[in-house]
Amino acid sequence: MIPGTALAWLMGGFALLLIPQWDRLPVWLMVSCIVLAIWRWLAQLGRLRLPGKWSRSGLMAVLVAVYIATVQGRFTVETASSFFVLAVGLKWLETRTVRDFYVLLFILVYLATVNFLFHQEIHWTVINLTGVLVLFVGLQVLNAPGIPGAVRSGWKRLGLMFVKTLPVVVLLFVFFPRMAPLWSVPLVSGEARTGISDSMTPGDISNLAQSDERAFRVTFGDEIPAYRDRYWRGLFLDTLDGETWRQSRGDGFRRPGRVSVDGGVGELQPNEYDVLLEPTDQTWAFALEGSVAVSDNVEKNENGLFRFDRPADSAVRYRMGLAPQAAETGAALGNARQYLQLPANGNPRARELARSLREQASGPQELALNILSRFREQQYFYTLRPPQMPENGIDALLFDSKRGFCAHYAGAMTFLLRAADIPARVVVGYQGGEPGADNAYLIVRQYDAHAWVEAWIPGQGWTRFDPTAAIAPERIESGLRQAMQEEGSFLENNWTSPQRYGDMAMIQWASLQLDKINYQWQRWVVGYQGQSQMDLMSRLPGGFSLRELGYVTAAVIGGALLFAGLFTALRGRSFSGRDAFSRVLGRWHSICEAAGVPVRDGETPSRQAQRLAQAQPAVASSAMTFARLVNRHYYAGSSGAPGAGKSGPGAREELGRMKRLLGTLNKQVKRSKSSTGRE
Amino acid sequence: MRSRIRKRWQRWINHRIPRRDHQILSQRNVFILPTGAGVIFGLLLLIMLITGINYQNSLIYLLTFILGAVFVAAMHQTHRNLAGLELTVLSGGEGFPGDPIPFRIRAKAGGNDALALSLSCEDTRIDQQHVLKGEPADLSLALVPFERGYFRPDRIRVETRFPFGLLKAWSWLRPVSAGIVFPDPIPAPESASTVQDGEQTSQARSIDGNDHADIRPWREGDLSQRVLWKRFARTGEMVIADWEGEQGSPQWLDYEAFRGVDQELRLSYLAYQVLDRMKTNRPFGLNLPGQRIDPDEGRAHGTRCLKALAVFGLEKPREGEPLAFGTRTQDASFGPGIRSAREARS
Repeated sequence: MIPGTALAWLMGGFALLLIPQWDRLPVWLMVSCIVLAIWRWLAQLGRLRLPGKWSRSGLMAVLVAVYIATVQGRFTVETASSFFVLAVGLKWLETRTVRDFYVLLFILVYLATVNFLFHQEIHWTVINLTGVLVLFVGLQVLNAPGIPGAVRSGWKRLGLMFVKTLPVVVLLFVFFPRMAPLWSVPLVSGEARTGISDSMTPGDISNLAQSDERAFRVTFGDEIPAYRDRYWRGLFLDTLDGETWRQSRGDGFRRPGRVSVDGGVGELQPNEYDVLLEPTDQTWAFALEGSVAVSDNVEKNENGLFRFDRPADSAVRYRMGLAPQAAETGAALGNARQYLQLPANGNPRARELARSLREQASGPQELALNILSRFREQQYFYTLRPPQMPENGIDALLFDSKRGFCAHYAGAMTFLLRAADIPARVVVGYQGGEPGADNAYLIVRQYDAHAWVEAWIPGQGWTRFDPTAAIAPERIESGLRQAMQEEGSFLENNWTSPQRYGDMAMIQWASLQLDKINYQWQRWVVGYQGQSQMDLMSRLPGGFSLRELGYVTAAVIGGALLFAGLFTALRGRSFSGRDAFSRVLGRWHSICEAAGVPVRDGETPSRQAQRLAQAQPAVASSAMTFARLVNRHYYAGSSGAPGAGKSGPGAREELGRMKRLLGTLNKQVKRSKSSTGRE
Repeated sequence: MRSRIRKRWQRWINHRIPRRDHQILSQRNVFILPTGAGVIFGLLLLIMLITGINYQNSLIYLLTFILGAVFVAAMHQTHRNLAGLELTVLSGGEGFPGDPIPFRIRAKAGGNDALALSLSCEDTRIDQQHVLKGEPADLSLALVPFERGYFRPDRIRVETRFPFGLLKAWSWLRPVSAGIVFPDPIPAPESASTVQDGEQTSQARSIDGNDHADIRPWREGDLSQRVLWKRFARTGEMVIADWEGEQGSPQWLDYEAFRGVDQELRLSYLAYQVLDRMKTNRPFGLNLPGQRIDPDEGRAHGTRCLKALAVFGLEKPREGEPLAFGTRTQDASFGPGIRSAREARS
């Protein structure tokens, strides 16, 4: 029923559209889809029979049961999308008729749509669009399997359509009003995202250090700040619970709905920077110290941190301004007891050290600096392979192993400060980031995750102290790669990462170029949402609002349809081989028919005119003159009369005469008809 | 009410597409609408747009716009697939009732290839006909009529859904030419006028169509059907047209041989006899009221006789709405060699 070639293309499209799902589909589902598709293909070849109604239902029941067992009642967009894939897989066994083919095609097109929810990078876009194109090639083969070179002409036709409609697509994309969501379905993800979390057990961040995934990218209106100043604050951990640092208060109520993903506001000013944050499923916005919110999708909370109003379940772009005078000076301490909280017991040696430090130092500032000098002067090591420190971990770190990662040292220093009655907290975020291609922007990756300490110094407010800077200054000056050079542990478990091979210029260059393209793509295409559209429109004369955008969209669609219609009409005219002369003849024929004189095939113009003259004596002379002109047109070419050829000014003049004559003829016919009507 | 709307619609179509044996499809007479799949596709685009709005996803917008534009482009593609196509009726075909009769149409592509055409008329349908540019193709639609006479399909629908099957463009061809359906052959009782006589048959063979009639007075024993009753009505003389050497001759198949039999049945008997003579390769002539076909043999002759039987007593269908001053074609004739009996007799 379905031509094999068409089915093969449909399967090809399916395979392509499955690729973007690879990291979120359970393996069994992936395998069953492939097996079912192969089964269908073997049935097409006649090697295998499609299952009957009962075995099909059985198979369906089994797979759906396995599916239900795997999702365990979680309803997220991801489980929905994997159910979608399951439906496609099962549909393969049912694809017998042309109708089934269309059902499958439509499901697959929607699968492409779902894929865009999860992946928006340019290469995924290309794969997705290619998948859809492949489907449409299959569709053409389905509709005309017999023509030679069906596939090649299918691609050509589709490509031409694509190119011809591109301007309209671009106009629509730019002008279609980006409305607020009609109703909001959060893009809840069951997947654990790589990234910092709201609790810190020593060792967490060193796991993160093995990941080269991007956390965010930043474009500065001005120069990129120096490496050591790039402290991206994310959240505070102010409660020590056993070995784990936590937030005393969570992020509070998670409002349903979706975060506004586009916070681009006009042109980037010199003291501003744009952050494009990868999805985190958290409300945290990362910002440099001394920042103020510029775009309205972030706001500062009472702790001086920046938050979205909803979790960032897709890439979010926000803008911050740098205002050093707006630093924490004079900010209220707030709940001091919270920042002095410590477990009732444990780590006795550390508490003892804190007490002695407090006796030595004259004030909190000095005490904190003393701790840093201790880290700097004694043999402490910064390592991605710290030893296990199960009991009294802070004591073990400070006095025995003296080996740890930033999280260890930040936790230990906060502990010491609190034990010495100085309000302190652990700050988690990122530090550093490497420049993208052409130094145009900064890429901050997960291995840039960092933890440091802030202590309350009376008169100064919250002040940053980074024990890592004291132990391994190269981490703060130039990044983890440099800091781990000796140990060789940088991305040691991540063989495929191009960052791992940072010393190979070619790989580095290629990966940066790819990132640059993707960044531009994300900023200008993917991120082209409400705010960017409004910005762009406000720069156009007239200042468009949402309503005007609606009008423009309607005008674009209408104009495109009109243009295409006119174009076809003109083409149709030229293709039917009708030149000006045959149009004149056509008009003559319709005048004859209107007068009630039928046109006969193969009759000479004179004979036709005679019959018209008989029927309508009033028009006799004009009709005969017209017939003479037509005869002259036919035979003038051969007689060689000057200026009467088939082209040239003479011919045009002749045509003009014919047209004028027909005009009179038409009037005469109408007049004589109306006069006979009255009689 | 519905039938009234339907009637109006039909009238409008008939006005828009006059009966023609030669039709160039253009935007004037090509219609286009989405198919069922096309409507579903439109709904899918709407759902995709809503998804894009709800998830503020630019790429979904982009995909929706691309597919929407492809849909519109497909509209033009489907239309262009038909536009410029030239359809010419080659022949209406001929055959017996209940048998498929090929209605043959020549199709010539205009500016573009016309791919995946389907032609249909009532229940008959052919699919996947490709007419490439510069390669005219002959399409034949096997229609099955059940009644004797001229057979002319009211409309032949030419449709294409290429390239995506989301839209269908169609037009109609309303042919002027008609096929011819022979009478259903029914075994005839051998009548007196066609009694076998070997000698006379061989005699008749020497007459090669140049026969003429002797007119002699009626005498005892002449079959009453051989009386020229028309002349009797005019003059009162009872005369017999004595076709040369034809006295009761078996090679003449005579409408008048079946007295008292219904006209259609007579024609069926004659058709059977014609077939019978053709099978045995015997020469024969056909004598119908108002028309006479001289004895001859061979396939062409047989067919000519069958055609005469097929259209006996019927008027050739008009080519469309009558115009005040004449018809579009000259009066139909069956070509040379056939003249009316009246002419022959005078």
